[in-house]
Amino acid sequence: MLALFAIALVGCDAGVPKSNLAPAKAKAAQCVEPTAEMRKNHMQYLLVHRDKTVIEGIRTTKHSLNECINCHIAPTREDGSAVHYADEKKDHFCASCHTYVGVKLDCFQCHADRPQVAGTINYQHKLSSNTYHLSAKGTQPNASDLLWLGNSQNQGVTQ
Amino acid sequence: MSQINAYRRKFMAALSGIAAGGLASGVILRSVQANDVPAKPVDQPVSNKVRWGMLIDINRLTDGGASMVEACKREHGWGNDPKARPEQQAQWMRTVKVTDKLTKHSFTLPVMCQHCAEPPCVDVCPTGASMKRADGIVQVNKHICIGCRYCMMACPYKARSFVHENLTDQQPHSPRGIGTVESCNLCVHRIDKGQLPACVEAAPNAVIFGDLNDPNSRISQAMKALGGSQIRADLGLNTGVRYLGL
Amino acid sequence: MSSKTIVYSELRASKAYYILLSICFAIAGLGAISFFHLEHEGHYVTGMNNQIVWGLPHVFAIFLIVAASGALNIASIGTVFSKTIYQPLGRLSALLAISLLIGGLAILVLDLGHADRLIIAMTYYNFKSIFAWNIILYNGFLALCILYIWTMQDRKLKAFYPYAGFFAFSWRLILTLGTGSIFGFLVSRAYYNSAVLAPLFIALSFALGLAVFIILLFFTYRLDKRELGDVVLNRLRYLLAIFVAAAMFLELARHLTALYIAQRQGVEQFILLDGGIYTLLFWVGQVLVGGLIPLSLIFCRALKNNHWSLLLASILVIIGGFVQLYVLIVGGQVYPLELFPNAEVQSSFFDGEIHAYAPSIWEWMLGLGGVGLALALFLCGMVALRFLPKSLADSELVAH
Repeated sequence: MLALFAIALVGCDAGVPKSNLAPAKAKAAQCVEPTAEMRKNHMQYLLVHRDKTVIEGIRTTKHSLNECINCHIAPTREDGSAVHYADEKKDHFCASCHTYVGVKLDCFQCHADRPQVAGTINYQHKLSSNTYHLSAKGTQPNASDLLWLGNSQNQGVTQ
Repeated sequence: MSQINAYRRKFMAALSGIAAGGLASGVILRSVQANDVPAKPVDQPVSNKVRWGMLIDINRLTDGGASMVEACKREHGWGNDPKARPEQQAQWMRTVKVTDKLTKHSFTLPVMCQHCAEPPCVDVCPTGASMKRADGIVQVNKHICIGCRYCMMACPYKARSFVHENLTDQQPHSPRGIGTVESCNLCVHRIDKGQLPACVEAAPNAVIFGDLNDPNSRISQAMKALGGSQIRADLGLNTGVRYLGL
Repeated sequence: MSSKTIVYSELRASKAYYILLSICFAIAGLGAISFFHLEHEGHYVTGMNNQIVWGLPHVFAIFLIVAASGALNIASIGTVFSKTIYQPLGRLSALLAISLLIGGLAILVLDLGHADRLIIAMTYYNFKSIFAWNIILYNGFLALCILYIWTMQDRKLKAFYPYAGFFAFSWRLILTLGTGSIFGFLVSRAYYNSAVLAPLFIALSFALGLAVFIILLFFTYRLDKRELGDVVLNRLRYLLAIFVAAAMFLELARHLTALYIAQRQGVEQFILLDGGIYTLLFWVGQVLVGGLIPLSLIFCRALKNNHWSLLLASILVIIGGFVQLYVLIVGGQVYPLELFPNAEVQSSFFDGEIHAYAPSIWEWMLGLGGVGLALALFLCGMVALRFLPKSLADSELVAH
């Protein structure tokens, strides 16, 4: 019993955990909003932004969760192991505080909780471009590259 | 008139054993207008003036759409969930081999969410998580999806999948996770940036992507000339994904 | 009208009662364990998959919900149709309705992919969705049942009793229509898309609710050594027969309609002829065990006034009803969706294949857990308030 109590006390002594700001500080001097504001209301910003993004397709980067992750979280630790929200170490930026205050979040059930490491194939082509990635840039589109469009006049002649 | 001719041409082509696309004589390349589909400014909401759609020419898909499926897998990271059994794996898109029972005529086509104008999945969703964006893209707002799977019961195309387990390291641009339903979303994240969906890029010779509401868009022109059949047209859902050679 | 007044009293909490109650809670506990397992691991541990999206838990849940609305029917017949012989049973019937509904809803909710987002289901409504309407209907049903019980138990509110009864009756009809429409509105599935499903569910609810009620009434009176006469049981007996026959009739109408529609012949042939286990369940489970045998038991003259034959008939109706829902819900999904009529299809996503479904232990635990919860609530309710008439002996009721 006493031992349990002691463990509990030690837990209390640990105090507020230091959130790991090093990755973010290396990239920018200042967060998108003042630090105090972010500490208090980051969830409001995320909540508003998520609906705007999913429902209206507004994809500004300022309050985007992806950008939070890109800036605040290093994909791997120094020993090369992956940093995840659910890790026992609780050194994921979000986990360090959320574990302490006991607020469960389900963001990372769906969202990636660390920046992407291995790049996927980079698709560069715009909707409006008339060349596809198979044809070399600047050249005229090849006939076989484009869908065949019927023309009634021509067809009338050929058939 | 033009449609009849188009069908006749295709029929002739099939008879002579030449793929429809091989007949170059009548091919007219409409000059694609540069601003056919302007990229939307990131801070502007999508508008209902556009409706995205896709026209897939089955005869020009040499692999039946397998490369499109692969591109989709790569883009969204589905299909290799570690714990799910094969029948529990998500499948946003698959190739279906169809053989007519009487004629034995056979073809293969890719099937995914058909982005209906009247989507049954949106009608049945109790929370509104299954939604149609203003620009006609049907998708799941996973933030309010409770995982009831009623949309999966309602979809005639079997386009939706349920995530049966905890996932990590998803694609940052395509969140997917436990207890929610998911499906093809026409690569919204790419469209909003003015890029083509991954599957369209993987099959550029067989697929046209564009704005169905704009009569001058390449896809509208192509559909006007050649038609564009729907799977299960009898349901009257007015799908955004159309096929040639069905 | 009788000169005698019916006297109600609480159920005596005997030793046997506590044993029963603990068994029910233990079963409900199994359901809770299953829920935490699903919540933690995900649905890959179940037999459900992307083809069979609704499985055994949904069969249990819909069974309980349908039976709940049917259980209230006993009270309604007394109130709305002024059949005084049913009035003493009114309180118990409303209690049973509440218990069964809570049990059923618990399963439905705990099987969700995101049961933790229940608050979203209550705050975001898509009014085009019959499912969203059902959420309102279920909550309203619970509230109305409580009001109804209140007007039955409190003399000061007796004036409101007929109104509460009428509203509860109308509400429950709409509720079952809504439950049937969950399937009836699925345009894409050949086995479901039919308006007949709504009245079929109502008939089914009458039969299942009554069968559950008869069994529980009988054993509760045995448990507490109260008297239960032939008059009451015989009334319930013939009522049960009518409801079972009505459900069978509507099911027949449904299949005949479907057989006339070329598009549906495939799935009908599967269920009725060559569906293996589903065909067996349909003919033996649903038609024979759930319909013909109970009807024979009820109408067999030699078994008149025989409580055990009525009891057996009720149990068979329950089994048959459960099987019917299983064939409907699972069987309807096992048959593949038809993308291209008159063509054979194959794909990596099991298109065109008959799907397999084998429920896992977790689905059984969750489903039975809901049943355990419903029974536990029912048992608790009878001890807390005066639901049970002291005696339902013939002499108490003859004058009615």
